[in-house]
Amino acid sequence: MAGATHVLPRAWPRTTVWRRRGFRRAATFYLLISPWLLGFVLLGAVPLVGAFVMSFTNYDGLNLDYVRFVGTDNYARAFGDSDAQYALGRTLLLMAVVVPIGLALQLVLALMVNQPIRFSNVFRTIFYLPYVIPVVAAVWIWKIFVDPTGGLVNAVAGAVSQGANWHLLVEQPTAVLALLTIWGAAGGGMVVFLAGLQGIPAEYREAAMIDGAGRAQVTRYITLPLLTPVIFFNLVTGIIVTLQILVQPMLLSPGILGLNPGTVPPRDNYLYAVHAYIEIFTKQLFGYGSALLWLLFAVVLVLTLLLFKTSRRWVFYGVEP
Amino acid sequence: MSVAVRRRSLVPAETGLRYGPVVLAAAIFALPIFWLLVTSLKRQSEYASALFPSALEWANYALAVELANFVHFATNSLILSTTYAVLAVFVSALVGYGFARHRAPGHNKLFVLVIATWMVPNLVLFVPQFVLFARLGLTDTYWPWILWGLSGSPFAIFLFRQFFATFPRELDDAAEVDGAGPLRIFLQIYLPNAGPAIAASAIFMFLWVWGDWLYPALLLRQDNATLAVRMANAYVDPHGNPLQTVTMAGVVLYVLPLIAFFAFAQRYIVRGIVTTGIKG
Repeated sequence: MAGATHVLPRAWPRTTVWRRRGFRRAATFYLLISPWLLGFVLLGAVPLVGAFVMSFTNYDGLNLDYVRFVGTDNYARAFGDSDAQYALGRTLLLMAVVVPIGLALQLVLALMVNQPIRFSNVFRTIFYLPYVIPVVAAVWIWKIFVDPTGGLVNAVAGAVSQGANWHLLVEQPTAVLALLTIWGAAGGGMVVFLAGLQGIPAEYREAAMIDGAGRAQVTRYITLPLLTPVIFFNLVTGIIVTLQILVQPMLLSPGILGLNPGTVPPRDNYLYAVHAYIEIFTKQLFGYGSALLWLLFAVVLVLTLLLFKTSRRWVFYGVEP
Repeated sequence: MSVAVRRRSLVPAETGLRYGPVVLAAAIFALPIFWLLVTSLKRQSEYASALFPSALEWANYALAVELANFVHFATNSLILSTTYAVLAVFVSALVGYGFARHRAPGHNKLFVLVIATWMVPNLVLFVPQFVLFARLGLTDTYWPWILWGLSGSPFAIFLFRQFFATFPRELDDAAEVDGAGPLRIFLQIYLPNAGPAIAASAIFMFLWVWGDWLYPALLLRQDNATLAVRMANAYVDPHGNPLQTVTMAGVVLYVLPLIAFFAFAQRYIVRGIVTTGIKG
């Protein structure tokens, strides 16, 4: 092969070989990523375009014969839908509670287990465990924990104040949902913070301590600023995830028998994704429900973009570790 | 000097400050799980009356397996989770290798697209997928999970890309000189050296299917769904009264494999996350 090239006139093979190599390189790349690309087109792009088209129709999920375009009716209807507005309000409220508290907790947990303490692996595992527990099991754990008859919370409440009998799932469903969410997400965020903490060179902290800074000062002026990219990451993912919460409130309906996919959660936990789910899968309003979901996507996108805008003021990307 | 002196004089207070909050937090975190275990070991007759079981009622666990066709649903979960995890990890590793080591026009735009699919709300994507699967007659089958697996996972693709980008390029050059093609380089050099990334992503992929309730509840028949779907409903006695204690035993059995899995692979998780470079 090499010998054959050698014999040919010079200008010819060079260009073709170069072209063929460039083509082959591109073909190799596209061949390697083809499974994802194919999946992205067939299970991502096509359905998304379909969902967008669907949101302008009256599609009921069953019969294509009756499908017709209804223009922007679905979107107009969403803006006048008092259930949707209420649900969005509840969702934003839950987000306003769960995201800041959760973020602070994750950071504190990471700082605690990052200290040179004994059994730090045991502590890490305990904090991480709820993150691994599947949603169905987590919901059962909290249902039984706050259960009025056999729950620990109620037993303690009853012992502390005579005759107290809380039915938290009925009286304060959103508080239970918030606790469940914070408890379940803490470990995931903690590990990301931990990775960030371990990326901060120890010399920075040591240098500050030699200069006479106390532990609180080191945390405030060295660790936290260097951790802002991680805080930002956890903040963005926290908001995206919280706005889409769907399964927890549905499974967390009061009563012990569990649920079927048609269950409606108590009014307080009637979140936006739950509303969309019920419109789509219970009422078979695929067109209208798709419009609701695109509006949710718009809210997620706007919030994320706003966060990225503010991030220039407080996220510090200065130091290469 | 001064640092050392101060440290020695503050030992007891320092210890309390270090361990007090972390022990308290751990106790609070573990309490609901502790209560799950306690409840699973009570006799049903003492569920409402006794705070702690008078004797450990291990029979609840046998009942949990017996009453709910537990083995059938657990087998479904195992098959589905393993199939998805194996496919998704292999495909994601291949695609991640493609992004890490091969260039072509459109390379960067496509990688942005991988990340962007992460941001689309699950339900926005799932509803049209559900319509598609229903139209193709793929509901009540495992095909949706196989197709999801075959197209890889954005999270795992990102993880593998970051991981493979740290490999020395000399390895490829040496293999190329020996006449190995890209697929062979991937199979014989990259994949065998990707242990931590494989472990971390396999666990998350497995966990996703094992723990997911929504998709199997919507795509599979109730009597042939996964353990998650079954466990969403309480165990009842022949009169339809709830058996909380047996239900909790079932929940423990449902969660146990995951915990064993994680205990085994705990160290890979932090390393896997460090690898993605999220730390910025």
